[in-house]
Amino acid sequence: MTAVNQERSFAAALRYVLRPALLVPVLAVAFAALVGLVLIAMIGVSVPKAVAAFIDGTFGSPFALAASLNRSSVFALVGFGFVLANRANLTNVGGEGQIAVGGIAATAVALYGHVSGFPLGLAFILPMLAAVIAGALWGGLAAVLKVNSGTNEVISTLLLSFIGVWLLYWSVQSPALLRKPMTSSATLPESLEIPDATQLPLLTGDYSFPVHIGLPLTLLLAIVVGVILSRTILGFRLRAVGLNPAAAKRAGVSYARTVIFALSTAGALGGLAGALMLLGEQYTLKDGFSSGYGFDGLVAGLLARGSILGVIAASLLFGFMRSGGINMEMVAAVPTALVVVIQGLIVITLAGANLFIEKWERR
Amino acid sequence: MEAVSPRPAEAVAEPLLALSEVTKRFGNFAALSDVSLDLRPGEVHCILGENGAGKSTLCNLIFGVHRPDGGGMRYQGAPFLPAGPADALRQGIAMVHQHFSLVGDMSVVDNVLLGRERGILDRKGCARQLAKIADQYGLPLDPFAKIEDLSVGERQRVEIVKCLIRDPRLFVLDEPTAVLLPAEISALLDVCRRVAAEGRAVVLVTHKLAEIKQVADRVTVLRGGRTVATSSEPSKDIDALVRAMIQGNVEALDTSAASILGLELVAHVDHEPAAKAGIEALQIDGLTVKDSQGVTRLDNFTLTVDRGEIVGVAGVEGNGQSELTAVLAGMMASTGGRIHLGSTDLTGRSPKEITAAGVGIVPEDRHAVGCVPGMSLAENIYLNRLDEFTRFGFLNRTALEREATTLMQRFDVRARGPGALFSSLSGGNQQKAVLAREITLPNLSCLIAAQPTRGLDVGAVAAVYGHVREACSRGIAVLLVSSEIDELLTVADRIVVLYRGRIMGSCPADPARKDAIGAMMAGQPL
Repeated sequence: MTAVNQERSFAAALRYVLRPALLVPVLAVAFAALVGLVLIAMIGVSVPKAVAAFIDGTFGSPFALAASLNRSSVFALVGFGFVLANRANLTNVGGEGQIAVGGIAATAVALYGHVSGFPLGLAFILPMLAAVIAGALWGGLAAVLKVNSGTNEVISTLLLSFIGVWLLYWSVQSPALLRKPMTSSATLPESLEIPDATQLPLLTGDYSFPVHIGLPLTLLLAIVVGVILSRTILGFRLRAVGLNPAAAKRAGVSYARTVIFALSTAGALGGLAGALMLLGEQYTLKDGFSSGYGFDGLVAGLLARGSILGVIAASLLFGFMRSGGINMEMVAAVPTALVVVIQGLIVITLAGANLFIEKWERR
Repeated sequence: MEAVSPRPAEAVAEPLLALSEVTKRFGNFAALSDVSLDLRPGEVHCILGENGAGKSTLCNLIFGVHRPDGGGMRYQGAPFLPAGPADALRQGIAMVHQHFSLVGDMSVVDNVLLGRERGILDRKGCARQLAKIADQYGLPLDPFAKIEDLSVGERQRVEIVKCLIRDPRLFVLDEPTAVLLPAEISALLDVCRRVAAEGRAVVLVTHKLAEIKQVADRVTVLRGGRTVATSSEPSKDIDALVRAMIQGNVEALDTSAASILGLELVAHVDHEPAAKAGIEALQIDGLTVKDSQGVTRLDNFTLTVDRGEIVGVAGVEGNGQSELTAVLAGMMASTGGRIHLGSTDLTGRSPKEITAAGVGIVPEDRHAVGCVPGMSLAENIYLNRLDEFTRFGFLNRTALEREATTLMQRFDVRARGPGALFSSLSGGNQQKAVLAREITLPNLSCLIAAQPTRGLDVGAVAAVYGHVREACSRGIAVLLVSSEIDELLTVADRIVVLYRGRIMGSCPADPARKDAIGAMMAGQPL
């Protein structure tokens, strides 16, 4: 009797693990990794050596692990914003620009806001808040354009992204803005390093494992966003506007307010991601600061198909892959571009598989 | 009106198209199960059934839109499995769909040529052909008129001519009379007879018994995707056919429901006189709507609805009804005129304010405006009152589902539960849910319902009007917009007729005035 029960619960557990929602992503990653290995072999690099370098870059040292986790937090924040806005049927592709303006705001406040002396962590909280506000305004701008003149948010957030990134270039190129004082012609186009007090505290205080408080903050926000989406009237309004704007309007939901809330919140999360990158890891603002993280976060949000847990999973995957890829380039001379190729393969395989599953279920 | 032209002799001809035990599934849902049917040259074969009985699916199988999952079809003695509509057309099967497929910006000739053009467009030749067909079947059309400028009836004529010009052997019409005026319906049935008299087979899909009496040689009744009755002498078997179609007793039928079927037991039912009759509730004064091109869609519409009164707005669709209900619901801005509810000015108010003032709205398109199909039934039932279930921004789903369950019982909304996806409900249950939401507004004093029974089966129609009458007897003012005259005649107290955005006239809802109302709908003043 118990044996039968056990067998049954085992079968149930197996079915749970093997359900398409879990199985398909795993297979997609495995497939992409396999293709990656083949490509590595084809460019004439020793596969074991490359794999060793990859693993070393991800879990090989406490430092590598911490770098991966910090990176994943950034992806996840942008991904949460994407999922939130997507609930209202809005596609925020402006993560890159939102990170950039967040980074600019955080740098400006950290360097010139006279916040270093503030107690209670305000020294780094205020720059973070500035980044959140900057990101929210950047996202909100796209929302206002959409509400007032019907501009498609895909276009406006993408174009605002370019503007954000160029603003960043300008800020670090112009001595009148954030560029550090030019002492010689060799002075790099970057800002001064932000004061110690404005840097994000590390969780362990140990510099060999530099995970900063961005990680717990991200997890907290995961819960907040998840609860907003599933339990609150705000989440309900987002969903109603996303599924049927006319019926939502008839039922008294303000379309304008909902769209502005959705896109500015997504922007705020992007801005915060920028703050984490600057205050937690880079400490100086340079061109190329956002390094495509906004788009990786967007992809994490896309792949998650509306699930916050899915965003976390995809962000971890991409965070670790990026770290491993960087190390693979340094140690085994495998171009980082390969990691981008594998990442792209995962996305295409997953999207294709999901499409296939949906068609198959609808048959 | 019967037998306009002599019917062909009863000699049983070889079937033109024979379906044997055809089955069509969509996912787990069997839209058709084991349906057998034969269509003979020279006959008008009516397919009768309620919404969702599988009528349209059947047409789409014949026309090659869907492929059967089981069973087979034989056409002119050979196995038949059209690869698509184009293939069916090539083989001599033509179909007029429920929804027109005409290009509004193009002329009649161009629409007829569309899909038939080869190299150089021969507009003159086509116009000559059109004139010949017009003569032959009594379908007059101006070949160079733009579709946009034609009435709904004329547009349908274009659709029919488009089919006839191909000289089809089998001619399928899917619910062609739904949008027509009474006089246009008779003319259409006349065309069906003439087409059949030439030895073509005509399939007429309908849910109106009057049409069957008038034109059918044979009838097949579908219910739940199965053939439940057939008759080769339909006018004698009408009662049996109705029973088969609705699976119930004709005598027990609600009068408003019977009116939908075109049964002749139609008589006006006086609802209980409301205590507050004579007190003005809804006052619409000179309401005018111009669209973005400056075309007047609603022209100086003035109407008062008293408490406890049901006023019907009749008219062929597209004569300003949509604009009227959209403005009253706060979904569209008027360009002139005022709306009052009692002493409250509702002109230009938002939907939220209008709801708060006590106006319930059942919109004509429940999928576009009435509900969010991707949400649950409970969420839809309380879509406009979710604040009542919210504390500190958190939605109390347990309370929401509990309250929704109570309303589901009261309004007989059938679903797996309050959490069921709204889109999984049948049309009738969806409409009952929308009605439940609007009619249970705490301070309801006026109900505006547009086409509330469209697409519903007989049971649901009776339920909807039961609730509307009940609300009315509580002293609610009801404005009922419908294109079904019979329905308005049985339910309303008073009828106003809209034509090109203007009120053509008004009269008491007396069945004896039906012809007068029909004439007003066609634009002739009383």
